[in-house]
Amino acid sequence: MVVPDLSFDGWAEKFASLPDELMAQHYYYRAQQARLGRVEPWSYYMFPPQTFALYGAKHLKRLSFDSSLAALRMWGFVQNETERLYRARQLGMKVVATMGDLGAVPVLVNAFPGCVPFYPDCTWWTPFVQESKVLFDAATRLGIGDATCYSRAALGAFAKHSYFPDPDLVVASTGASCDDYSGVEQLAAGIAAETLWVESPWRKGCATCGTGFAVEPGTREFLSAEYRRVVERLGRLTGHKPTDADLLAAIRKTNLVRSKTGRLRDYGYVQAALPALEMMVVEFGCLHYYADIDEWTNILDDLLRTCEQRVRNGERVAAEDALRVVWITPPADPLFLCHFEKRGARIVGTEYVINQALVPIAERGRPLDALAGSFLQASLIGSSRERADLAVTQARERGAEGAVISGILGGSHCAMESHLIAGRVKEALGLPVLQFDVPEPAREVNQQLGTRIDAFLEVLAGRRSQTGQTSRTRRTSPTGIP
Amino acid sequence: MTRELLNPRERFGLLVIDEPQDRVPVYPLVTSRAARVLGKTVREYCTDGITMARCQLAAQDRFGHDFISLFSEVGLVAEALGSAYDYPEDDVPMLLRPRWRGLPEESDLSDVSDPSDGRVRMFLSAVEYAWEARSDTVPVLAFIPAPFTTAQQLVDPEEFLLGLLTAPEQAKGLLDWVTRATVALTRKVIEAGGLPVFVDPLASGSVISGEQFREFALPYEAGVIRFCHRYDLDIILHVCGDGGPVIDLLPETGADLLSIDLIGLDRAIAAAGGRCRVVGNFPTTQLWLASPAEVGSAAGEMVRQGRACPKGFVAATGCEVPHDTPDENIDAFVAACREAGTNRAFGQQS
Repeated sequence: MVVPDLSFDGWAEKFASLPDELMAQHYYYRAQQARLGRVEPWSYYMFPPQTFALYGAKHLKRLSFDSSLAALRMWGFVQNETERLYRARQLGMKVVATMGDLGAVPVLVNAFPGCVPFYPDCTWWTPFVQESKVLFDAATRLGIGDATCYSRAALGAFAKHSYFPDPDLVVASTGASCDDYSGVEQLAAGIAAETLWVESPWRKGCATCGTGFAVEPGTREFLSAEYRRVVERLGRLTGHKPTDADLLAAIRKTNLVRSKTGRLRDYGYVQAALPALEMMVVEFGCLHYYADIDEWTNILDDLLRTCEQRVRNGERVAAEDALRVVWITPPADPLFLCHFEKRGARIVGTEYVINQALVPIAERGRPLDALAGSFLQASLIGSSRERADLAVTQARERGAEGAVISGILGGSHCAMESHLIAGRVKEALGLPVLQFDVPEPAREVNQQLGTRIDAFLEVLAGRRSQTGQTSRTRRTSPTGIP
Repeated sequence: MTRELLNPRERFGLLVIDEPQDRVPVYPLVTSRAARVLGKTVREYCTDGITMARCQLAAQDRFGHDFISLFSEVGLVAEALGSAYDYPEDDVPMLLRPRWRGLPEESDLSDVSDPSDGRVRMFLSAVEYAWEARSDTVPVLAFIPAPFTTAQQLVDPEEFLLGLLTAPEQAKGLLDWVTRATVALTRKVIEAGGLPVFVDPLASGSVISGEQFREFALPYEAGVIRFCHRYDLDIILHVCGDGGPVIDLLPETGADLLSIDLIGLDRAIAAAGGRCRVVGNFPTTQLWLASPAEVGSAAGEMVRQGRACPKGFVAATGCEVPHDTPDENIDAFVAACREAGTNRAFGQQS
């Protein structure tokens, strides 16, 4: 049975019937507030899309949502993040901006009591959610214009001082990373109070082996030493010197999130128990846990219970015969994920350039070495072929019938890499590949792109009818992590 | 006009989470005065949603204030519930005939779960239009009459006020009913994209005593505000007229922002400024009749006073901008409030 999605207006109806007691159960910064002996009214977050649309998130009106209460809870939490970061500061916490590495440095920040990490990088979605070019225009005035990745919105947000609190510290990763974003970081450093630069090493000369990538000797040690500098600087910021046990505890908390995310990837991409839009939000929760790792973990549990129940009841969010597609590079405009599903496809695997945030971190040995080891599985620090193979593996395991690569106009790695990845997918699996650049913020998928998407899906449907493929998705590893 | 760092949406976003802004938000209540900006009659403004929205957008472009203010007058809910209004060519709608001469019996109060008569659809279309057009950069405020004011438009006003003394339970029955209708309309407004502002001019100290306010206005204002808090919305309550007798009570409504009129700003801040952001309260007659220089000077002084409010301040007029107010005076008000309200430390990291 297919569970119907909910429109923006559908959520309004459903929300009206929710009991207040349910909403009162969910609030953030529980531990911090427990120490103060109170629950602040601002910390509740289970509100409908209408609330956030009123405060500028116009695009929510165009999206389709999962109909579960767990998903509503997740959306409320995620949409609430700007306020949460400001409230963190008001509670006396240190706010640390981590940039560029997408997943590793927040593990260290969470080892320091009273510190909260966040990625300004994630504001790349804000212009699309608000259907606004305000942040792009602000970035342009600072020297990064249209010919650059949408991640330039982060620079606009720094300049505006109103999308997140001015960070107590910026930890900016550069080196083997996105060129455009390194430029954004460089200019943001001119605005931030203090920036600590961290170098991400290139994953040199390695080959795919088993469950991950092999790494040149010395690379891990180099990165581990970089993380030591981060720990020392955070120590000066907070007056706290974490032991290896503190670092290990932070790694364990992170692994908990990553393992739950892995299970959700399995439910979402293999068993179609959650839609692609919600799954993207889940995956990106592994970056900085939307600024409250404990509450985010609770939300993941809630989503897991929903998925378990759906699977038990034989419920899916997509038809059995939906066309199976792997998606490469996250779409800056989330509407595309809904659009594909509405047109009869479903996403069975992703390579959202955050592989480093999905893999487990070893819980034995020296913690910084372990963190470095996990980061060396990163999507962006190796060859395009390695990145392509992350998608190929999932496509093969899950019987994908096509691949979609959503690029970014002006994104330097997209221009160079999308073609290479498309070639590798075609070579390895012989699958049709659709490449397109996500256009600037808009209310809807433009007609030209809509036609291309329809044509692509028709090709997939045609191939299926010719080959007589079954619609079954093969199961992958229990975690869903390739 | 120089480019400002924040847009009104960003500025308001910081205000309501207790963070300093680049400057105080500026909010002359340019409601039906906006009709003049596009050369429309007030009747056209009050009876056509798209016209109302376009006038508001044009007024915001023209004067550069920080909110879109969708409002015609206080009859919106009462008309939907059966009162009749007259629409003069160039003035706001006026009560022609209330639904009841005296307080209604309980059996007279029908289902009100879906108020859509009168100008409700027109109003919702104005909200939707403005939301689509500008809500990414400017908050869209949708003014809804609070229950006490609406009740006084449903019953002959004198009879209603008399009924507060002679038949208080019957009056409360009516107020409960009106509150349900107001909540139902508020939900539609929220779903259309408007941030509700509750206006209760007939509950001011100019009309009723503090004791009557506590018994007949406050609980119902609190009811509609509580409904909005369910959505985590930051709610403005506007009570015009004499605020003296009620200012100490207003924070009990739960309002997040209090829009005040005839009361000393110092007094209002002392009474409510620790719990609510204060919105106010430049005299509208002065805005209309004084010279631009006088307006600018007085507005600057008001802002310097208002910035002492612990929870935050919005530089506003005490009530709606009169129709004949010269553009130059509104310009002077906005410019002076911006200048006096500028926070030069904003964005300077410690």
